[in-house]
Amino acid sequence: MDFGYEQEKLFDCFRLEVKQGEFLGIIGPNGAGKSTLLRLMAGLLKPEKGRINLLGHDLNKISRKQIARIAAVVPQESFFAFDYTVEDIVMMGRNPYLGRLQQPTSVDYDKVNNVLEFVDAAVLRHKGINEISGGEKQRVVLARALAQEPELLLLDEATSHLDISHQHSILRILAQLNNQGKTIVFLSHDLNLAALSCSRILLLHHGRQVACDCPERVITPELIKSVYGIEPLLLRHPKTGRPQVMLPSPILPKSIP
Amino acid sequence: MHRHKGAAWAGLAAFVLIAALCSISIGPGGFLHISRTVLVFRLLRLALGIMAGGVLSLTGAALQGLLRNPLVDPFTLGVASGAALGASLALLAGAGTSLLLPVASFAGALFTIVAVYFLARIKGRVTVTGLVLAGVIVSFLFSSLVMLVMVLGHRPMGQAIYLLMGHLGVAFTRHSLWLFAGSSVVMLAGCGILFSYSRELDIMSSSEETAKSLGVDTSRVTKLIFVVSSVLVGLVVSFTGAISFIGLVVPHLVRMMFGPAHRQVLPGSFVLGAGLLLIADIGARNVVPGGLPLSVVTSLVGVPFFIYLLRRRF
Repeated sequence: MDFGYEQEKLFDCFRLEVKQGEFLGIIGPNGAGKSTLLRLMAGLLKPEKGRINLLGHDLNKISRKQIARIAAVVPQESFFAFDYTVEDIVMMGRNPYLGRLQQPTSVDYDKVNNVLEFVDAAVLRHKGINEISGGEKQRVVLARALAQEPELLLLDEATSHLDISHQHSILRILAQLNNQGKTIVFLSHDLNLAALSCSRILLLHHGRQVACDCPERVITPELIKSVYGIEPLLLRHPKTGRPQVMLPSPILPKSIP
Repeated sequence: MHRHKGAAWAGLAAFVLIAALCSISIGPGGFLHISRTVLVFRLLRLALGIMAGGVLSLTGAALQGLLRNPLVDPFTLGVASGAALGASLALLAGAGTSLLLPVASFAGALFTIVAVYFLARIKGRVTVTGLVLAGVIVSFLFSSLVMLVMVLGHRPMGQAIYLLMGHLGVAFTRHSLWLFAGSSVVMLAGCGILFSYSRELDIMSSSEETAKSLGVDTSRVTKLIFVVSSVLVGLVVSFTGAISFIGLVVPHLVRMMFGPAHRQVLPGSFVLGAGLLLIADIGARNVVPGGLPLSVVTSLVGVPFFIYLLRRRF
Protein backbone atom coordinates (compact mmCIF):
# COMPACT_ATOMS: atom_id res chain seq x y z
CA MET A 1 0.00 0.00 0.00
CA ASP A 2 1.20 3.42 -0.92
CA PHE A 3 0.38 6.40 1.11
CA GLY A 4 2.02 9.66 0.28
CA TYR A 5 0.87 13.22 0.38
CA GLU A 6 2.17 16.69 0.71
CA GLN A 7 0.35 19.42 2.53
CA GLU A 8 1.43 22.89 3.35
CA LYS A 9 1.11 24.73 6.66
CA LEU A 10 0.77 22.02 9.36
CA PHE A 11 2.28 19.47 7.03
CA ASP A 12 4.78 21.00 4.64
CA CYS A 13 5.88 18.54 1.98
CA PHE A 14 5.09 15.66 4.28
CA ARG A 15 5.62 12.13 3.01
CA LEU A 16 4.68 8.89 4.66
CA GLU A 17 4.33 5.38 3.39
CA VAL A 18 2.32 2.85 5.32
CA LYS A 19 3.25 -0.66 4.26
CA GLN A 20 0.59 -3.26 3.75
CA GLY A 21 0.25 -5.51 6.79
CA GLU A 22 2.17 -3.32 9.22
CA PHE A 23 1.10 -2.10 12.64
CA LEU A 24 2.06 1.57 12.66
CA GLY A 25 1.84 3.66 15.81
CA ILE A 26 1.58 7.45 15.63
CA ILE A 27 2.67 9.35 18.72
CA GLY A 28 3.49 12.95 19.51
CA PRO A 29 2.48 15.79 21.82
CA ASN A 30 -0.90 17.57 21.67
CA GLY A 31 -1.18 19.63 18.51
CA ALA A 32 1.47 17.64 16.67
CA GLY A 33 -1.02 16.82 13.91
CA LYS A 34 -1.72 13.18 14.71
CA SER A 35 -5.49 13.40 14.33
CA THR A 36 -5.20 15.58 11.24
CA LEU A 37 -2.91 13.03 9.67
CA LEU A 38 -5.36 10.23 10.46
CA ARG A 39 -8.30 12.20 9.03
CA LEU A 40 -6.32 12.86 5.87
CA MET A 41 -5.62 9.13 5.56
CA ALA A 42 -9.33 8.38 5.96
CA GLY A 43 -10.28 10.91 3.29
CA LEU A 44 -12.20 12.98 5.87
CA LEU A 45 -9.96 15.96 5.12
CA LYS A 46 -8.49 16.85 1.77
CA PRO A 47 -4.85 17.88 1.42
CA GLU A 48 -4.37 21.41 0.09
CA LYS A 49 -1.63 20.16 -2.16
CA GLY A 50 -0.42 16.72 -3.06
CA ARG A 51 -2.33 13.48 -2.86
CA ILE A 52 -3.06 10.43 -0.79
CA ASN A 53 -2.94 6.98 -2.31
CA LEU A 54 -4.80 4.05 -0.87
CA LEU A 55 -3.94 0.71 -2.47
CA GLY A 56 -3.13 2.58 -5.66
CA HIS A 57 -6.35 4.66 -5.65
CA ASP A 58 -6.12 8.42 -5.43
CA LEU A 59 -8.44 9.35 -2.52
CA ASN A 60 -9.67 12.41 -4.39
CA LYS A 61 -10.86 10.33 -7.29
CA ILE A 62 -12.89 7.57 -5.62
CA SER A 63 -16.30 7.72 -3.93
CA ARG A 64 -16.96 7.68 -0.20
CA LYS A 65 -18.28 4.14 -0.46
CA GLN A 66 -15.13 2.97 -2.24
CA ILE A 67 -12.97 4.58 0.44
CA ALA A 68 -15.11 2.96 3.15
CA ARG A 69 -14.45 -0.48 1.64
CA ILE A 70 -10.69 0.07 2.03
CA ALA A 71 -10.28 2.14 5.19
CA ALA A 72 -12.32 2.15 8.42
CA VAL A 73 -12.01 4.54 11.35
CA VAL A 74 -12.46 3.89 15.07
CA PRO A 75 -12.78 7.28 16.80
CA GLN A 76 -12.01 8.04 20.44
CA GLU A 77 -15.65 8.51 21.35
CA SER A 78 -18.88 7.88 19.52
CA PHE A 79 -22.19 9.65 19.90
CA PHE A 80 -25.54 8.06 19.15
CA ALA A 81 -28.55 10.39 19.00
CA PHE A 82 -30.97 7.47 19.15
CA ASP A 83 -30.81 4.14 20.93
CA TYR A 84 -30.17 1.73 18.04
CA THR A 85 -29.45 -1.89 18.89
CA VAL A 86 -25.85 -3.10 18.76
CA GLU A 87 -26.75 -5.20 15.73
CA ASP A 88 -28.19 -2.15 13.90
CA ILE A 89 -25.01 -0.19 14.63
CA VAL A 90 -22.70 -2.92 13.33
CA MET A 91 -24.94 -3.37 10.26
CA MET A 92 -24.16 0.28 9.41
CA GLY A 93 -20.66 -1.00 8.61
CA ARG A 94 -22.19 -2.91 5.66
CA ASN A 95 -23.37 0.37 4.08
CA PRO A 96 -20.41 0.58 1.64
CA TYR A 97 -21.53 -2.71 0.09
CA LEU A 98 -25.25 -1.97 -0.18
CA GLY A 99 -26.95 -0.20 -3.07
CA ARG A 100 -29.12 2.84 -2.35
CA LEU A 101 -32.39 0.96 -2.01
CA GLN A 102 -30.91 -2.45 -1.24
CA GLN A 103 -31.71 -4.14 2.06
CA PRO A 104 -29.10 -6.19 3.94
CA THR A 105 -29.19 -9.87 2.99
CA SER A 106 -28.42 -13.00 5.04
CA VAL A 107 -24.80 -12.64 3.87
CA ASP A 108 -24.62 -9.24 5.59
CA TYR A 109 -26.26 -10.62 8.74
CA ASP A 110 -23.71 -13.47 8.80
CA LYS A 111 -20.84 -10.98 8.50
CA VAL A 112 -22.29 -8.87 11.31
CA ASN A 113 -22.55 -12.01 13.48
CA ASN A 114 -18.98 -12.97 12.71
CA VAL A 115 -17.46 -9.61 13.62
CA LEU A 116 -19.56 -9.40 16.78
CA GLU A 117 -18.25 -12.80 17.83
CA PHE A 118 -14.71 -11.79 16.87
CA VAL A 119 -14.77 -8.81 19.25
CA ASP A 120 -16.56 -10.91 21.87
CA ALA A 121 -19.73 -8.81 21.81
CA ALA A 122 -22.23 -11.32 20.44
CA VAL A 123 -24.24 -11.34 23.67
CA LEU A 124 -24.80 -7.59 23.35
CA ARG A 125 -26.51 -7.97 19.95
CA HIS A 126 -30.01 -6.90 21.00
CA LYS A 127 -28.92 -4.37 23.62
CA GLY A 128 -29.34 -0.64 23.01
CA ILE A 129 -26.07 1.11 22.12
CA ASN A 130 -26.62 3.73 24.83
CA GLU A 131 -27.27 1.07 27.51
CA ILE A 132 -23.84 -0.61 27.38
CA SER A 133 -20.57 0.46 29.02
CA GLY A 134 -17.89 2.59 27.37
CA GLY A 135 -15.58 -0.39 26.90
CA GLU A 136 -18.33 -2.49 25.33
CA LYS A 137 -19.34 0.42 23.11
CA GLN A 138 -15.78 0.73 21.81
CA ARG A 139 -15.71 -2.99 20.94
CA VAL A 140 -19.00 -2.55 19.08
CA VAL A 141 -17.60 0.42 17.15
CA LEU A 142 -14.56 -1.71 16.31
CA ALA A 143 -16.93 -4.46 15.11
CA ARG A 144 -18.71 -1.89 12.91
CA ALA A 145 -15.34 -0.92 11.41
CA LEU A 146 -14.56 -4.62 10.78
CA ALA A 147 -17.95 -5.10 9.10
CA GLN A 148 -16.61 -2.71 6.45
CA GLU A 149 -14.04 -5.43 5.65
CA PRO A 150 -11.30 -2.82 5.34
CA GLU A 151 -7.68 -3.38 4.41
CA LEU A 152 -6.67 -0.49 6.61
CA LEU A 153 -7.92 0.14 10.14
CA LEU A 154 -7.37 3.64 11.52
CA LEU A 155 -7.68 4.05 15.29
CA ASP A 156 -7.86 7.58 16.67
CA GLU A 157 -7.10 7.40 20.41
CA ALA A 158 -9.45 4.44 20.44
CA THR A 159 -8.23 3.12 23.79
CA SER A 160 -7.74 6.42 25.66
CA HIS A 161 -10.99 6.34 27.60
CA LEU A 162 -10.84 2.68 28.53
CA ASP A 163 -9.67 0.91 31.66
CA ILE A 164 -6.66 -1.41 31.35
CA SER A 165 -8.71 -4.56 30.86
CA HIS A 166 -10.65 -3.08 27.95
CA GLN A 167 -7.45 -1.56 26.56
CA HIS A 168 -5.86 -4.96 26.67
CA SER A 169 -8.80 -6.68 24.97
CA ILE A 170 -8.84 -4.10 22.14
CA LEU A 171 -5.08 -4.43 21.64
CA ARG A 172 -5.34 -8.24 21.58
CA ILE A 173 -8.03 -8.01 18.91
CA LEU A 174 -5.83 -5.61 16.92
CA ALA A 175 -2.82 -7.94 17.16
CA GLN A 176 -4.96 -10.82 15.93
CA LEU A 177 -6.22 -8.73 12.99
CA ASN A 178 -2.67 -7.71 12.18
CA ASN A 179 -1.64 -11.38 12.11
CA GLN A 180 -4.42 -11.95 9.59
CA GLY A 181 -2.77 -9.36 7.36
CA LYS A 182 -4.78 -6.22 8.12
CA THR A 183 -2.88 -2.95 8.14
CA ILE A 184 -3.34 -1.02 11.35
CA VAL A 185 -2.60 2.60 12.14
CA PHE A 186 -2.81 3.19 15.86
CA LEU A 187 -2.77 6.75 17.08
CA SER A 188 -2.20 7.11 20.82
CA HIS A 189 -1.02 9.34 23.62
CA ASP A 190 0.03 6.25 25.50
CA LEU A 191 3.69 5.66 24.58
CA ASN A 192 3.76 2.31 26.39
CA LEU A 193 0.77 0.87 24.55
CA ALA A 194 2.25 2.01 21.24
CA ALA A 195 5.65 0.55 22.10
CA LEU A 196 4.09 -2.78 23.11
CA SER A 197 1.90 -3.33 20.06
CA CYS A 198 3.33 -1.53 17.06
CA SER A 199 5.90 -2.81 14.61
CA ARG A 200 6.85 0.75 13.66
CA ILE A 201 6.28 4.09 15.36
CA LEU A 202 6.00 7.54 13.82
CA LEU A 203 6.90 10.35 16.20
CA LEU A 204 5.30 13.63 15.10
CA HIS A 205 6.09 17.13 16.29
CA HIS A 206 4.56 20.31 14.79
CA GLY A 207 3.56 18.39 11.69
CA ARG A 208 7.07 17.10 11.10
CA GLN A 209 8.31 13.56 11.27
CA VAL A 210 10.89 13.41 14.07
CA ALA A 211 11.44 9.70 13.73
CA CYS A 212 9.78 6.73 12.11
CA ASP A 213 11.29 3.40 12.99
CA CYS A 214 10.93 0.35 15.19
CA PRO A 215 9.89 1.11 18.82
CA GLU A 216 13.45 0.57 20.17
CA ARG A 217 14.83 3.37 18.01
CA VAL A 218 11.94 5.84 18.55
CA ILE A 219 11.18 5.44 22.24
CA THR A 220 14.57 6.70 23.44
CA PRO A 221 15.25 9.21 26.26
CA GLU A 222 16.83 11.67 23.79
CA LEU A 223 13.96 11.71 21.29
CA ILE A 224 11.27 11.80 24.01
CA LYS A 225 13.06 14.70 25.69
CA SER A 226 13.47 16.61 22.45
CA VAL A 227 9.74 16.40 21.68
CA TYR A 228 7.97 16.30 25.05
CA GLY A 229 10.51 18.32 27.04
CA ILE A 230 10.72 15.92 29.97
CA GLU A 231 13.35 13.35 30.65
CA PRO A 232 11.69 9.96 31.15
CA LEU A 233 13.03 6.82 32.76
CA LEU A 234 13.26 3.97 30.31
CA LEU A 235 12.76 0.32 31.15
CA ARG A 236 12.47 -2.89 29.14
CA HIS A 237 9.26 -4.87 29.22
CA PRO A 238 10.18 -8.07 31.08
CA LYS A 239 8.35 -10.33 28.58
CA THR A 240 8.82 -8.65 25.21
CA GLY A 241 11.88 -6.49 25.76
CA ARG A 242 10.04 -3.52 24.23
CA PRO A 243 10.91 -0.09 25.67
CA GLN A 244 8.52 1.24 28.35
CA VAL A 245 8.49 4.81 29.58
CA MET A 246 8.15 5.89 33.19
CA LEU A 247 7.72 9.43 34.39
CA PRO A 248 10.44 10.94 36.58
CA SER A 249 9.21 11.29 40.15
CA PRO A 250 7.20 14.50 40.74
CA ILE A 251 8.29 14.47 44.40
CA LEU A 252 11.59 16.19 45.03
CA PRO A 253 13.97 14.16 47.21
CA LYS A 254 14.11 15.52 50.74
CA SER A 255 17.45 17.02 51.65
CA ILE A 256 19.00 15.24 54.59
CA PRO A 257 20.66 17.55 57.08
CA MET B 1 -39.91 -8.54 17.56
CA HIS B 2 -41.62 -8.80 14.17
CA ARG B 3 -44.97 -9.63 15.73
CA HIS B 4 -44.60 -6.61 17.99
CA LYS B 5 -43.99 -4.33 15.00
CA GLY B 6 -46.89 -5.89 13.11
CA ALA B 7 -49.19 -5.17 16.05
CA ALA B 8 -47.94 -1.58 16.21
CA TRP B 9 -48.70 -1.11 12.50
CA ALA B 10 -52.17 -2.59 12.90
CA GLY B 11 -52.81 -0.26 15.86
CA LEU B 12 -51.67 2.76 13.84
CA ALA B 13 -53.90 1.84 10.90
CA ALA B 14 -56.91 1.38 13.19
CA PHE B 15 -56.20 4.72 14.87
CA VAL B 16 -56.12 6.64 11.58
CA LEU B 17 -59.29 4.92 10.39
CA ILE B 18 -61.15 5.90 13.58
CA ALA B 19 -59.75 9.45 13.42
CA ALA B 20 -60.90 9.74 9.80
CA LEU B 21 -64.41 8.47 10.59
CA CYS B 22 -64.70 10.91 13.50
CA SER B 23 -63.41 13.72 11.32
CA ILE B 24 -66.12 13.05 8.73
CA SER B 25 -68.99 12.52 11.15
CA ILE B 26 -68.41 15.23 13.77
CA GLY B 27 -68.69 18.94 12.99
CA PRO B 28 -70.73 22.14 13.24
CA GLY B 29 -72.66 21.13 10.09
CA GLY B 30 -74.35 18.27 11.93
CA PHE B 31 -73.50 14.91 13.48
CA LEU B 32 -73.77 11.82 11.23
CA HIS B 33 -76.90 13.12 9.39
CA ILE B 34 -75.21 15.49 7.00
CA SER B 35 -75.96 16.90 3.58
CA ARG B 36 -74.00 16.10 0.46
CA THR B 37 -72.31 19.54 0.43
CA VAL B 38 -71.14 19.15 4.01
CA LEU B 39 -69.85 15.64 3.23
CA VAL B 40 -67.79 16.91 0.28
CA PHE B 41 -66.47 19.75 2.41
CA ARG B 42 -65.46 17.32 5.18
CA LEU B 43 -63.88 14.84 2.80
CA LEU B 44 -61.67 17.59 1.39
CA ARG B 45 -60.82 18.68 4.92
CA LEU B 46 -59.96 15.06 5.70
CA ALA B 47 -57.62 14.81 2.70
CA LEU B 48 -55.94 18.09 3.62
CA GLY B 49 -55.56 16.97 7.25
CA ILE B 50 -53.99 13.65 6.27
CA MET B 51 -51.50 15.29 3.92
CA ALA B 52 -50.59 18.12 6.33
CA GLY B 53 -50.22 15.95 9.45
CA GLY B 54 -48.46 13.16 7.59
CA VAL B 55 -46.05 15.34 5.66
CA LEU B 56 -45.10 17.62 8.59
CA SER B 57 -44.47 14.62 10.87
CA LEU B 58 -42.44 12.67 8.33
CA THR B 59 -40.38 15.78 7.55
CA GLY B 60 -39.88 16.35 11.29
CA ALA B 61 -38.62 12.78 11.68
CA ALA B 62 -36.19 13.16 8.76
CA LEU B 63 -34.85 16.49 10.07
CA GLN B 64 -34.41 15.11 13.60
CA GLY B 65 -32.32 12.26 12.19
CA LEU B 66 -30.33 14.40 9.76
CA LEU B 67 -29.50 17.09 12.34
CA ARG B 68 -29.02 14.60 15.23
CA ASN B 69 -31.42 16.75 17.17
CA PRO B 70 -34.58 15.56 18.96
CA LEU B 71 -35.87 19.12 19.39
CA VAL B 72 -36.26 20.13 15.75
CA ASP B 73 -39.22 20.04 13.41
CA PRO B 74 -40.40 22.31 10.58
CA PHE B 75 -41.92 24.65 13.19
CA THR B 76 -39.10 24.95 15.76
CA LEU B 77 -36.56 25.39 12.96
CA GLY B 78 -38.53 28.39 11.70
CA VAL B 79 -39.03 26.73 8.32
CA ALA B 80 -42.80 26.89 8.61
CA SER B 81 -42.63 30.65 9.38
CA GLY B 82 -40.32 31.14 6.41
CA ALA B 83 -42.82 29.34 4.20
CA ALA B 84 -45.63 31.49 5.65
CA LEU B 85 -43.63 34.64 4.83
CA GLY B 86 -43.17 33.43 1.26
CA ALA B 87 -46.89 32.68 1.04
CA SER B 88 -47.86 36.08 2.45
CA LEU B 89 -45.69 37.86 -0.12
CA ALA B 90 -47.32 35.80 -2.86
CA LEU B 91 -50.80 36.64 -1.50
CA LEU B 92 -49.87 40.31 -1.52
CA ALA B 93 -48.82 39.98 -5.15
CA GLY B 94 -52.34 38.69 -5.82
CA ALA B 95 -51.47 35.02 -6.27
CA GLY B 96 -54.54 33.67 -4.43
CA THR B 97 -54.78 30.27 -6.07
CA SER B 98 -52.02 30.36 -8.64
CA LEU B 99 -48.91 28.25 -8.76
CA LEU B 100 -46.91 31.20 -7.44
CA LEU B 101 -48.26 30.60 -3.92
CA PRO B 102 -46.69 27.16 -3.29
CA VAL B 103 -43.52 28.17 -5.15
CA ALA B 104 -43.07 31.28 -3.00
CA SER B 105 -43.69 29.31 0.14
CA PHE B 106 -41.13 26.68 -0.92
CA ALA B 107 -38.61 29.47 -1.56
CA GLY B 108 -39.30 30.90 1.92
CA ALA B 109 -38.85 27.47 3.50
CA LEU B 110 -35.60 26.71 1.68
CA PHE B 111 -34.14 30.13 2.49
CA THR B 112 -34.97 29.65 6.18
CA ILE B 113 -33.59 26.15 6.57
CA VAL B 114 -30.27 27.17 5.00
CA ALA B 115 -30.11 30.43 6.98
CA VAL B 116 -30.87 28.72 10.31
CA TYR B 117 -28.36 25.95 9.64
CA PHE B 118 -25.57 28.44 8.98
CA LEU B 119 -26.61 30.71 11.86
CA ALA B 120 -26.32 27.75 14.22
CA ARG B 121 -23.00 26.60 12.80
CA ILE B 122 -20.32 28.06 15.03
CA LYS B 123 -16.74 27.01 14.29
CA GLY B 124 -17.98 24.14 12.16
CA ARG B 125 -20.19 22.69 14.89
CA VAL B 126 -23.97 22.72 15.13
CA THR B 127 -25.17 22.24 18.70
CA VAL B 128 -28.60 20.92 19.65
CA THR B 129 -29.68 24.07 21.49
CA GLY B 130 -27.93 26.46 19.07
CA LEU B 131 -30.00 25.12 16.21
CA VAL B 132 -33.27 25.50 18.13
CA LEU B 133 -32.33 29.01 19.29
CA ALA B 134 -31.52 30.07 15.75
CA GLY B 135 -34.83 28.58 14.62
CA VAL B 136 -36.80 30.43 17.30
CA ILE B 137 -35.14 33.75 16.50
CA VAL B 138 -35.75 33.43 12.77
CA SER B 139 -39.29 32.27 13.50
CA PHE B 140 -40.01 35.42 15.55
CA LEU B 141 -38.63 37.65 12.85
CA PHE B 142 -40.56 35.98 10.05
CA SER B 143 -43.83 35.87 12.00
CA SER B 144 -43.52 39.62 12.56
CA LEU B 145 -42.75 40.14 8.89
CA VAL B 146 -45.83 38.10 7.91
CA MET B 147 -47.95 40.41 10.08
CA LEU B 148 -46.27 43.46 8.56
CA VAL B 149 -46.84 42.24 5.01
CA MET B 150 -50.49 41.41 5.70
CA VAL B 151 -51.18 44.76 7.40
CA LEU B 152 -49.41 46.76 4.67
CA GLY B 153 -51.36 44.75 2.09
CA HIS B 154 -54.68 45.59 3.81
CA ARG B 155 -55.40 41.91 4.30
CA PRO B 156 -57.87 40.73 6.98
CA MET B 157 -56.19 39.90 10.30
CA GLY B 158 -57.88 36.49 10.30
CA GLN B 159 -55.99 35.49 7.18
CA ALA B 160 -52.67 36.44 8.81
CA ILE B 161 -53.51 34.42 11.91
CA TYR B 162 -54.51 31.38 9.90
CA LEU B 163 -51.26 31.65 7.90
CA LEU B 164 -49.17 31.74 11.10
CA MET B 165 -51.15 29.27 13.17
CA GLY B 166 -52.66 26.89 10.69
CA HIS B 167 -56.16 25.74 9.78
CA LEU B 168 -57.75 23.11 7.58
CA GLY B 169 -60.87 25.09 6.63
CA VAL B 170 -59.72 25.90 3.13
CA ALA B 171 -62.52 26.98 0.79
CA PHE B 172 -61.55 25.04 -2.31
CA THR B 173 -62.36 26.33 -5.77
CA ARG B 174 -62.16 24.13 -8.85
CA HIS B 175 -58.77 25.65 -9.61
CA SER B 176 -57.30 25.27 -6.12
CA LEU B 177 -58.61 21.71 -6.02
CA TRP B 178 -56.44 20.84 -9.01
CA LEU B 179 -53.55 22.60 -7.37
CA PHE B 180 -54.09 20.54 -4.22
CA ALA B 181 -54.26 17.30 -6.20
CA GLY B 182 -51.03 18.13 -8.02
CA SER B 183 -49.34 19.18 -4.78
CA SER B 184 -50.40 15.95 -3.11
CA VAL B 185 -48.68 13.93 -5.83
CA VAL B 186 -45.52 16.01 -5.37
CA MET B 187 -45.72 15.66 -1.57
CA LEU B 188 -46.11 11.88 -1.74
CA ALA B 189 -43.14 11.72 -4.11
CA GLY B 190 -41.12 13.88 -1.70
CA CYS B 191 -42.01 11.58 1.20
CA GLY B 192 -40.91 8.63 -0.96
CA ILE B 193 -37.55 10.30 -1.62
CA LEU B 194 -36.99 10.92 2.12
CA PHE B 195 -37.97 7.30 2.82
CA SER B 196 -35.41 6.09 0.28
CA TYR B 197 -32.74 7.78 2.41
CA SER B 198 -33.70 5.82 5.56
CA ARG B 199 -30.36 4.04 5.91
CA GLU B 200 -28.35 7.22 5.31
CA LEU B 201 -30.43 8.97 8.00
CA ASP B 202 -29.78 6.10 10.42
CA ILE B 203 -26.05 6.41 9.82
CA MET B 204 -26.03 10.21 9.97
CA SER B 205 -27.69 10.23 13.39
CA SER B 206 -24.25 9.25 14.74
CA SER B 207 -21.88 12.02 13.66
CA GLU B 208 -21.07 13.64 10.36
CA GLU B 209 -17.50 12.37 10.38
CA THR B 210 -18.53 8.83 11.29
CA ALA B 211 -21.17 8.86 8.56
CA LYS B 212 -18.51 9.92 6.04
CA SER B 213 -16.15 7.16 7.10
CA LEU B 214 -19.02 4.68 6.70
CA GLY B 215 -19.37 5.73 3.08
CA VAL B 216 -22.16 8.33 3.22
CA ASP B 217 -21.70 11.46 1.11
CA THR B 218 -22.97 13.66 3.94
CA SER B 219 -22.91 17.04 2.19
CA ARG B 220 -24.92 15.69 -0.75
CA VAL B 221 -27.47 13.97 1.52
CA THR B 222 -27.82 17.10 3.69
CA LYS B 223 -28.48 19.34 0.69
CA LEU B 224 -30.96 16.92 -0.82
CA ILE B 225 -32.93 16.51 2.41
CA PHE B 226 -32.99 20.28 2.98
CA VAL B 227 -34.42 20.84 -0.51
CA VAL B 228 -36.99 18.03 -0.34
CA SER B 229 -38.07 19.09 3.18
CA SER B 230 -38.50 22.66 1.98
CA VAL B 231 -40.69 21.52 -0.91
CA LEU B 232 -42.81 19.47 1.50
CA VAL B 233 -43.18 22.14 4.18
CA GLY B 234 -43.68 24.89 1.56
CA LEU B 235 -46.53 22.98 -0.08
CA VAL B 236 -48.25 22.18 3.22
CA VAL B 237 -47.98 25.74 4.52
CA SER B 238 -49.28 27.21 1.25
CA PHE B 239 -52.57 25.37 1.91
CA THR B 240 -52.91 25.19 5.69
CA GLY B 241 -50.51 27.78 7.14
CA ALA B 242 -47.94 26.87 9.80
CA ILE B 243 -49.02 24.14 12.23
CA SER B 244 -46.91 23.90 15.39
CA PHE B 245 -45.25 20.94 17.09
CA ILE B 246 -46.95 18.08 15.25
CA GLY B 247 -43.65 17.30 13.46
CA LEU B 248 -41.79 17.42 16.77
CA VAL B 249 -43.98 15.16 18.89
CA VAL B 250 -45.03 12.47 16.43
CA PRO B 251 -41.55 11.06 15.56
CA HIS B 252 -40.81 10.55 19.26
CA LEU B 253 -44.04 8.63 19.80
CA VAL B 254 -43.28 6.50 16.75
CA ARG B 255 -39.74 5.74 18.00
CA MET B 256 -41.27 4.49 21.25
CA MET B 257 -43.35 2.05 19.18
CA PHE B 258 -40.85 0.91 16.54
CA GLY B 259 -37.37 1.82 17.75
CA PRO B 260 -35.19 4.43 16.03
CA ALA B 261 -34.73 2.90 12.53
CA HIS B 262 -35.95 5.40 9.92
CA ARG B 263 -37.38 2.65 7.73
CA GLN B 264 -40.17 2.36 10.28
CA VAL B 265 -40.03 5.84 11.83
CA LEU B 266 -40.64 7.75 8.58
CA PRO B 267 -43.78 5.93 7.36
CA GLY B 268 -44.98 5.49 10.96
CA SER B 269 -44.69 9.26 11.50
CA PHE B 270 -46.74 9.92 8.36
CA VAL B 271 -49.57 7.67 9.54
CA LEU B 272 -49.61 8.75 13.19
CA GLY B 273 -49.18 12.43 12.25
CA ALA B 274 -52.14 12.24 9.88
CA GLY B 275 -54.35 10.66 12.58
CA LEU B 276 -53.31 13.07 15.34
CA LEU B 277 -53.83 16.14 13.17
CA LEU B 278 -57.35 14.96 12.32
CA ILE B 279 -58.09 14.62 16.05
CA ALA B 280 -56.59 18.09 16.72
CA ASP B 281 -58.74 19.50 13.93
CA ILE B 282 -61.90 17.98 15.42
CA GLY B 283 -60.99 19.90 18.59
CA ALA B 284 -60.16 23.08 16.70
CA ARG B 285 -63.45 23.32 14.83
CA ASN B 286 -65.89 22.07 17.46
CA VAL B 287 -64.84 23.69 20.74
CA VAL B 288 -65.58 27.30 19.82
CA PRO B 289 -68.11 28.53 17.26
CA GLY B 290 -66.19 29.70 14.18
CA GLY B 291 -63.24 27.42 15.00
CA LEU B 292 -59.76 27.88 16.46
CA PRO B 293 -56.44 28.05 14.61
CA LEU B 294 -54.91 24.54 14.67
CA SER B 295 -51.72 25.56 16.48
CA VAL B 296 -53.80 26.56 19.50
CA VAL B 297 -54.68 22.88 19.91
CA THR B 298 -51.36 21.34 18.84
CA SER B 299 -49.33 23.70 21.09
CA LEU B 300 -51.34 22.67 24.15
CA VAL B 301 -49.95 19.16 23.66
CA GLY B 302 -46.68 20.05 21.96
CA VAL B 303 -45.25 22.52 24.48
CA PRO B 304 -45.37 20.19 27.52
CA PHE B 305 -43.84 17.48 25.36
CA PHE B 306 -41.05 19.83 24.23
CA ILE B 307 -40.31 20.71 27.87
CA TYR B 308 -40.20 17.01 28.74
CA LEU B 309 -37.65 16.36 25.95
CA LEU B 310 -35.55 19.31 27.05
CA ARG B 311 -35.52 18.22 30.71
CA ARG B 312 -34.75 14.62 29.85
CA ARG B 313 -31.70 15.45 27.77
CA PHE B 314 -29.94 18.22 29.61
